[in-house]
Amino acid sequence: MAAVDPRVAAYAELLVERCLGVQPGWQVLIRSQPAARPALDELVRLIARKGAYPLLRMNFSLWPTDEAWAALAPEELVAELSPIDVYASDHMDARITMEAPDNARGAAALTPERRALARRASAPFFRRTMTHEIPWVSCQFPTNALAQEAGMRLADFEDFFYGACLRDWDEEARSMQGLNARFDAAEQVRILGEDTDLTLSLAGRKGEVDGGRTNMPGGEFFFAPVEDSAEGTILFDVPSELDGGPVDRIRLRFRSGRVEEARAEQGEETLLAALAMDDGARFVGELGIGCNEGITRPARNILFDEKMAGTIHIALGQSYTHIGGKNTSSLHWDLIKDLRQGGRIELDGETVQEDGTWLI
Amino acid sequence: MAAVDPRVEQYARLLVERSLTVQPGWQVMVIATPLARPLVEEVVRQIARIGAWPLVRLSWVHGEQVAFDSLWAAEAPEELIGTIAPIEAQARRELDAWMMIQAAENTRAAALLPPARRVALRKAYAEFDERRMQPGFPWVGCLYPTQASAQDAGMTLAEFEDFLYGACLLDWDAERDRMLRYAERFDAAETVRIVGAGTDLTLSIAGRSGVVDDAHLNMPGGEFFYSPLEDSAEGVVEFSEFPASYQGNVCEGVRLRFQRGEVVDASASANEEFLLAALETDEGARRLGELGIGCNPGIQRHTRNTLFDEKIDGTVHLAIGAGLGFVGGLNRSAIHWDMVKELRNGGRIELDSVVVQENGRWLL
Repeated sequence: MAAVDPRVAAYAELLVERCLGVQPGWQVLIRSQPAARPALDELVRLIARKGAYPLLRMNFSLWPTDEAWAALAPEELVAELSPIDVYASDHMDARITMEAPDNARGAAALTPERRALARRASAPFFRRTMTHEIPWVSCQFPTNALAQEAGMRLADFEDFFYGACLRDWDEEARSMQGLNARFDAAEQVRILGEDTDLTLSLAGRKGEVDGGRTNMPGGEFFFAPVEDSAEGTILFDVPSELDGGPVDRIRLRFRSGRVEEARAEQGEETLLAALAMDDGARFVGELGIGCNEGITRPARNILFDEKMAGTIHIALGQSYTHIGGKNTSSLHWDLIKDLRQGGRIELDGETVQEDGTWLI
Repeated sequence: MAAVDPRVEQYARLLVERSLTVQPGWQVMVIATPLARPLVEEVVRQIARIGAWPLVRLSWVHGEQVAFDSLWAAEAPEELIGTIAPIEAQARRELDAWMMIQAAENTRAAALLPPARRVALRKAYAEFDERRMQPGFPWVGCLYPTQASAQDAGMTLAEFEDFLYGACLLDWDAERDRMLRYAERFDAAETVRIVGAGTDLTLSIAGRSGVVDDAHLNMPGGEFFYSPLEDSAEGVVEFSEFPASYQGNVCEGVRLRFQRGEVVDASASANEEFLLAALETDEGARRLGELGIGCNPGIQRHTRNTLFDEKIDGTVHLAIGAGLGFVGGLNRSAIHWDMVKELRNGGRIELDSVVVQENGRWLL
């Protein structure tokens, strides 16, 4: 076998040291897929050297959901996590989610109803990370399926992937904190661009900078906007997907914080089903500002696309409570808007970013 | 992709319905490697239809009970290796059934861990091993055919698949009835004598009852077994026909001489070092934990895989080390090493001096 790409070791170290800060005796739950093997091997070694336990959940679909099972089991069972998995969720000290799909569309086989039940079942698992009770990181491992989504050869995608992840994160964090401070001081943010004029209130809300901690790649700062404040329209021009179903060119109209009108040129059914998931699915859970200069083009991959410098994203559904968010939903779906060509961000009437370039 | 081999579905059904008797609401741990994907997914579907939960735990390491343990256990502090993670301990106290699917990518990959660390790992899992060995606890060990196991067997993958399913997809009720008939005769006997090439060994099974494995604990099943009286073995056995392998270490021509139940002389024509080291593992490693009689008509040849080899029709196997508590075995040891003895080449089994099997054929 060829030697392991040295970037894999650097990547694993970043996850264990910076993102989680693993301590002796910790039980670190790792949910991943077989194709991530080189990184998983490395993670397990690093966790061993820390004197901690890796709890590997390497499944064909991402634990705790098992799609082959969820497609056939009685519905009341699909909606419930097994007691053993609930115990693990309640007692893990940290978790890593490392997606490594062998087929980025492989999840589309579950019916929307069963998908929703499976989401409900996994809520106890996500509870302690959404509230930041324990350290966590969501990340990926470069596979052919992800490269294919991005329209690249695997080798090119690996360069793109590590270019976005292996950065000087202390420096990135410092520069984002400066921008974030300006947003913190503002009451109102306005997003302008093609078919877009949306205002949101950030009054009383503080942003958080992801300088390479809870997401890898990091490279965004984000807010939980005031729940009833969204007014206006927005066109999300970066292609998206939800549970394996592609959705593109989504147009939303908000009134008093709520989505009043929704259309999509591709995957409109998926969009409408998502909005109907529960009451909170029609409200904004997050406004994020992408700042990662290593990402210059969308890769049909939300984790990367939402960090692209010169974009913003708005998540429908669940908000982060530790930054003041109050919206609850089993949905948290990030939709991305490219501002690099004719877009603008205003804070309390002052333009702070134009065509994706900061003026502050 | 080609359609899944229909035998995989039958195999999964046997494992879930017959071996484990999965019931609604059960939590069923399924341990495998990613290579077993077609079988794992079919097992998961069967568990779904019954209305139970699968706890699928995949790792790349072959035949181990804890994910990635050889990578982790090679580098973690030794005291940590000897203690199971609390979350894993809780799971093993709560689970209702346990399935271990071997699906090796390299059957020699597990041999690298130093013995001290291997012993520590076993200690970590001792509580669960004890639970698993309680009578009636549903568990099963089985194998999914991979290139690595075909290679060990000296077959192409397609040949090995035919061999595997030929050994597993049997009429197990009929096999059970046949084996029960033999086992009753053993139960009624006091002394078993095994005679064969280089071999004349006497064991007492007085007061001990056997268990018939009709595809419950192992898939394939096809043996019945005893834990002989711990101080009863007298004589010599020579495993000259087949190699004896334990956790990836292969010994040839193993010869053991017993006195009052204890190995007093041991040799091997290849890898004797490992044999002698294994016998030094602990006090119990020099005594027999099991006598098993192979009865699976689908298994006629040796494939370097104990799960199959110990079921070869016309063989017996003897395990040095841990006795089986659920058949009255008292011997304790960190090892349990099954070695298979050919009897089809002029061997015989006597019960209280009556010949009951000759040249591998039953006279009952």
